[in-house]
Amino acid sequence: MAVTSVLERLKERIGVERPAVNATVEAGHLRRFAEAIGDPNPRWLNEAPPTFLVALAPASYHVPEAEEFGKGWLNGGNRFEYLEPVKVGDEISATTKLADAYEKSGSSGTLLFIIFETEFKNQHGSMVARLRGTAIRR
Amino acid sequence: MSFKVGDEIPELVKHPTTRQLVQYAGAQGDFYEIHYDQDYARSVGLPGVILHGLLKAAFLGQLVTDWLGDRGRLKTFEVSYRGIDVPDKPYRCSGKITKVDGRQVEVEVWGEDPAGQRTTVGSATVEMAS
Repeated sequence: MAVTSVLERLKERIGVERPAVNATVEAGHLRRFAEAIGDPNPRWLNEAPPTFLVALAPASYHVPEAEEFGKGWLNGGNRFEYLEPVKVGDEISATTKLADAYEKSGSSGTLLFIIFETEFKNQHGSMVARLRGTAIRR
Repeated sequence: MSFKVGDEIPELVKHPTTRQLVQYAGAQGDFYEIHYDQDYARSVGLPGVILHGLLKAAFLGQLVTDWLGDRGRLKTFEVSYRGIDVPDKPYRCSGKITKVDGRQVEVEVWGEDPAGQRTTVGSATVEMAS
């Protein structure tokens, strides 16, 4: 499928938010995450390490039409902004929207870029973090 | 304590394994097959299973938080993935200070493969405690 036709349909999704995903920061999950990244800092027994938010709620959502283009996904990058610490017991609500979609030509052919933005709020309604992620279809 | 532009932060060398990729897939909840299924990874043109970009981001996050400790607060953390990495090879994470403005400090960070390719590049901004 040509990238143009896929892109036109993706553009219709720009700004569309998915329903919030709610998740509690559990001590066991935090510990398993810290073990998986191999970071022994005892601070992470109680507090979320910098990238933990992606384990709490998906920072993108499935866009089936994008898979009509190319053969695989790549993660292009992530940008986190931290406003308040996230600790064990916090109840986080994450809302993700598709922020942009565009194509780029590179040495390996045309790539399709999809930008997702996620906002994370805690049980007090405070924004604790924002995340911007770039998904690439190749 | 004082920081100046050009100062390097202590490097961190990680030793990712296929086992760690499976562990990470479970902990993050990212079950894309390119991270644990060799046949699938090759079928989409990869040399075999590859590291999650976000696992490499976590390594660079550790680089920054190990250096920072409780001396300040991480405000932003940004990474771009420029190349793929495979398990069973050391992944070297480094950083240096690029800007100091009062209590605000910016750090450039990168991760490189054994050939010296910077396959992950990024930056962090921190606010030092007064």
